[in-house]
Amino acid sequence: MLEDVSKDRGLRIGVCGPVGTGKSSLIALLCRELAADLEIGVVTNDIYTDEDARFLRSAGVLDPARIRAVETGACPHTAIRDDVTANLIAVEELEDEFAPLDVVLVESGGDNLTATFSPALVDTQIFLIDVAGGGDVARKGGPGIERADLLVVNKTDLAPYVGVDPVAMVSDAGSVREGRPVIALSRTDPGSVAELVEWVRSELALHRGGGLVPADPGPMAPHFHADGTSHSHDHDADHQHV
Amino acid sequence: MADDLMLMLLADARLPVAGHTQSGQLEAAVRSGLTAAQVSVLMRSRLGSVARVEAGTAVVALHRLRAGLPLAPVVDAWAARTPAAPMRETSHTLARALLRLVRRLFPDSPHVADAAGVEGVCRPIVLAAAAAAGGISPASLGRLVAYDDLQTVASAALKLLPLDPLDATSWVHDLLPAADRLATEVAALTSPDEIPAPSAPQLDLWALAHAATTRRLFSA
Repeated sequence: MLEDVSKDRGLRIGVCGPVGTGKSSLIALLCRELAADLEIGVVTNDIYTDEDARFLRSAGVLDPARIRAVETGACPHTAIRDDVTANLIAVEELEDEFAPLDVVLVESGGDNLTATFSPALVDTQIFLIDVAGGGDVARKGGPGIERADLLVVNKTDLAPYVGVDPVAMVSDAGSVREGRPVIALSRTDPGSVAELVEWVRSELALHRGGGLVPADPGPMAPHFHADGTSHSHDHDADHQHV
Repeated sequence: MADDLMLMLLADARLPVAGHTQSGQLEAAVRSGLTAAQVSVLMRSRLGSVARVEAGTAVVALHRLRAGLPLAPVVDAWAARTPAAPMRETSHTLARALLRLVRRLFPDSPHVADAAGVEGVCRPIVLAAAAAAGGISPASLGRLVAYDDLQTVASAALKLLPLDPLDATSWVHDLLPAADRLATEVAALTSPDEIPAPSAPQLDLWALAHAATTRRLFSA
């Protein structure tokens, strides 16, 4: 049983995705865009603790006291999924200390494509991939790419330099996400930044209205078949994985 | 119900109580040059020092919970025997982590409520509340503390040093008799004054040094 999401506390947003896709930068961007009218806190897990917290502090977009680094014992996946305790405590401490916070952003340590947040830790989550990771990443799928509340395809400004077609990448992502939102983001493209900020504001409005129910993207990836077709499971169905 | 099932539950590394954030000072020790061959020496010295204090604290707290006596003197005795501030802070955080779980497992337990209400509650006090609520004996509680301490260092060692996991588990196995002796030693304690007061200045120094570093995998 999950704890009730209290619309009276702030919205907890998870940010995860593979190493180097721009999680810290995205959080710095959100802080910069939202800090004027929203009270924000950040909890970061890096496999090398404090690296990301230092990056965010040096970006100068948030009071350093509102950024907490949590050690994960080299287990970034564990800390956001099967034992969220250390992160939850850090979130609650921030919420107590700087009450009332509107938004707490929780940044996972960079992990692989299978890591997603437990709904016990965050209310909604963003999964990040980037064009520099290769045009086929979106097609590989996985719980985050397919079912995170928002998929961000980051660094689209780099696409010409890495030989990737960002339009095709977003289209690939859209086809495995069954209508869930995808944003092609570049920090040099104000339109894409506005789109991201609008998504956060709409999730916050939903949360405040009591209408946001955490959805778990993980853990099962769909099955890919040799003939190129794939399918995902209806998890109410009775089936066995081998 | 026999208490060993409850013990297995509480001793399980998969318990969601932030155990994976701990190395028992091993990370700092490795930074200062401790080698794989010396890990079991560190584990043994913890049994003789910090684990002894923690086990004694837990057993005395269990007695006082069951006897309806106040816990504050136990917290004071533990704090006086835990001179490194980062170790005390870590214990407070782990107490909070464990309380989340224990409250869920025993929502109506007065012992859990007593532990939760103590100012500056530390991990062994919450373990004692779990033991009181779960029907665990003082000797078993002492074994739980000692065993958990051994496994904490052994599993962190696998992240920090080039090791065969079978070696790490062998070290735990070889120290089980020492863990058992520790539990027997503290099992009959009832008063905060009786909690052992050993000192391990090197562990304290490592904890202090670790708290001041960045790029940590494990908390101080």
